[in-house]
Formats: sequence, structure tokens, C-alpha cells
Amino acid sequence: MSAAEAVDGAMTRLEATRVVVAHVGDAAIVASLGHPAYDLFAAGDRPRNFYTWGSMGLASSVGVGIALARPDVPVVVLDGDGSLLMNLGSLATIGLLRPRNFVLVVMDNEQYGTTGGQRTPTSLGADLAAAAAALRVDAAATVVTPEALGAVLDGAIGAGPAVIVAKVTESAPAAKPPLDCEMLKQRFMSALGQTES
Amino acid sequence: MSWPAGVCAGTHAAGCRDVVYVPDNPLSHVLKIFEAEYRDVRLLLATREEEAFGIAAGLYLGGRRPAVMLQSSGLGNSLNALTSLLIPYRIPALIVVSMRGDDGEWNSAQMPMGRAVRSILDAIGIGHVTAESAETTQAAVERGAQMAFDTRMSCACLLPKRLTAQ
Repeated sequence: MSAAEAVDGAMTRLEATRVVVAHVGDAAIVASLGHPAYDLFAAGDRPRNFYTWGSMGLASSVGVGIALARPDVPVVVLDGDGSLLMNLGSLATIGLLRPRNFVLVVMDNEQYGTTGGQRTPTSLGADLAAAAAALRVDAAATVVTPEALGAVLDGAIGAGPAVIVAKVTESAPAAKPPLDCEMLKQRFMSALGQTES
Repeated sequence: MSWPAGVCAGTHAAGCRDVVYVPDNPLSHVLKIFEAEYRDVRLLLATREEEAFGIAAGLYLGGRRPAVMLQSSGLGNSLNALTSLLIPYRIPALIVVSMRGDDGEWNSAQMPMGRAVRSILDAIGIGHVTAESAETTQAAVERGAQMAFDTRMSCACLLPKRLTAQ
């Protein structure tokens, strides 16, 4: 079976995002720009969500920084396959620093969904979970069903670092988070009990 | 005080306890002093300067005062992180830049970016100070950090090649 066929009939990104929100409790969630952020807003806007509006590729790095600053807070990052490929070195940094409270969920739709659906290397079988494992992220897995995603997430929270590649199909986002970047920052920091120093 | 000791003292005095860095020859002296004399400072290696700024942004969101240390050539790798994350979200970092391509450079590949550093920082609205001598390095770093965290806009402290060659 080809990778493309394996995706057929599997979960949409919005369904997968709903699973994440339902399984991570009061974790901080960082969403990559574009469709991952739009779907997080639609699946469940909450103050502990941090939506990026730019900086493609850096969602996992932002999450690593939060995880290092606040080891008491579980941190979950919603990335895309195209975004992670733009900052693949982040996997090496995750494998180097190994923050236990860090989970990276890669919504792998095998395309640049936000920019018109151009195919990414994962559509030909490039394996991001294998890349994570090769770079010392021991808990690295690929899941194709909502049940498996939920189960792997349950085991990963607080027992990271973990990289979970969720094979998803593209789903047209129905909502967008607010565009006020400073408000998004302040709301997120307040939700973590942080004042700006 | 040597210039590397001044960088460490200024960074520490400014309240920065997390230093995200991409290695550079002059900065290696700074890192050695941090390791030997500042046990409360966490040194975090990044694979690329853009990634370093992403990590720094997360550290700030988690309540820390991040410093990013890099060579000036890495400023080019950092621009999307600065202009589409740190600046619009008003997430500040102290940026310590080891200069290449300025007075005393021997490598032509370092010249274009080195010469453009101040213009680029001006163009994107990031302030910068320059450490002119070993004696004034600590104060320059502290001024840069104060501007960054008071105004919530990153500020760079430039370390000229003439200084770091000492």
C-alpha cells in the first residue's frame, strides 16, 4: 500500500486536533501557522493555546522553549509536515535537550495544505517519526486513527519528549484565531500565571 | 575585565539565565566563562539561528528573559523569526552578535552580511548598541538588555571583530 492510500479513510486534521484537545488536559498548546492554528481554534479555543501567525517551522522550537521555562506545564505542539521539514534540526534539539514535558504532534497531510496542496516528501514515504527516532527522540510513533492518537498521547504527556506523527487528511478550516498577536501572547502568558518581566 | 567576562556579567546582571546559542569562535570564550563561573545560567545549543530565536520566544512566554548569542552571519538566518514572531508579538530577547565582516575581516564571504548588519537591524526596527572596548562591554550588554525587556522589542549588542580579536 502506498502512503497516499494509507491516508484514505483516516482521520481529518480537524478530527485529530479535537482528539489532541480532548486528551491533553490543561497543557499549553502551540500551533503552527495556517491550517493547524485554524483547526486548533475551531477544535477548542482556550487561553493556554498559543497561535503563531508567521515563523513557519518554529512552532516546535517555541514549544521547546516553553517546556524548558516551565517544566511543571505539559506542552503540546501542533505542527505540520511541511513546517517541520522547514526546521528539521528541531528534532535534533529535542533529542538533545529531552524535555520530559514536551510532545510534538505532526499533522502529516503529506501536503502544504495552507498554500494550495503542493505535495511534501512525506507523500512519497519520507518518515518523520523515523527521523525523530534517529535523532534520539525515543518516543516516536506514527498513528493513523483517532483511537491510536489518543492512546499514544495519554502515554506521552509527562513522559516525553515524544514525537507523534498523525497521518491526516486535509480538512478545510472553518475558523481563524484572532489576529492581535500581542493579545494572543498576553492571554497565553496570563493563563500560565506569567507576568512579563 | 576581559570582553568575554563583560558579556557574561552584563547578561547575568540583566537577569538572563537562559542563553540560546549557535557556536562561534569568539563566543566560545563567553560560553567557557558561563560554564565555569555562572552555574545558574543555562546554555542551550540550537542547530540554526532561526531555531534559537524560536526557542528564545518560548522561554519568554514561559516567564524567562532569554539571550540569543550568534555570529553576524547568522542574522540572515534569523530574519523570519524576528520579523514574523518576536517583533509582532512583542517578545523580546537580548541578542549578542559576534561581528564578522567589519574592521579586520579577511574572509570575503563574510563581508556582505557583516557590512549590512546595522542597516538590517534598523530596517526591521531592532535597536542595537556596540561594545566599543573590553572595559565598556558589560555596560553595553546591560543597556541592550534593558532596552529589550523594558520596551519588549529585542535589542542587539554588537561585538566588533576589533574587540573580540583582543
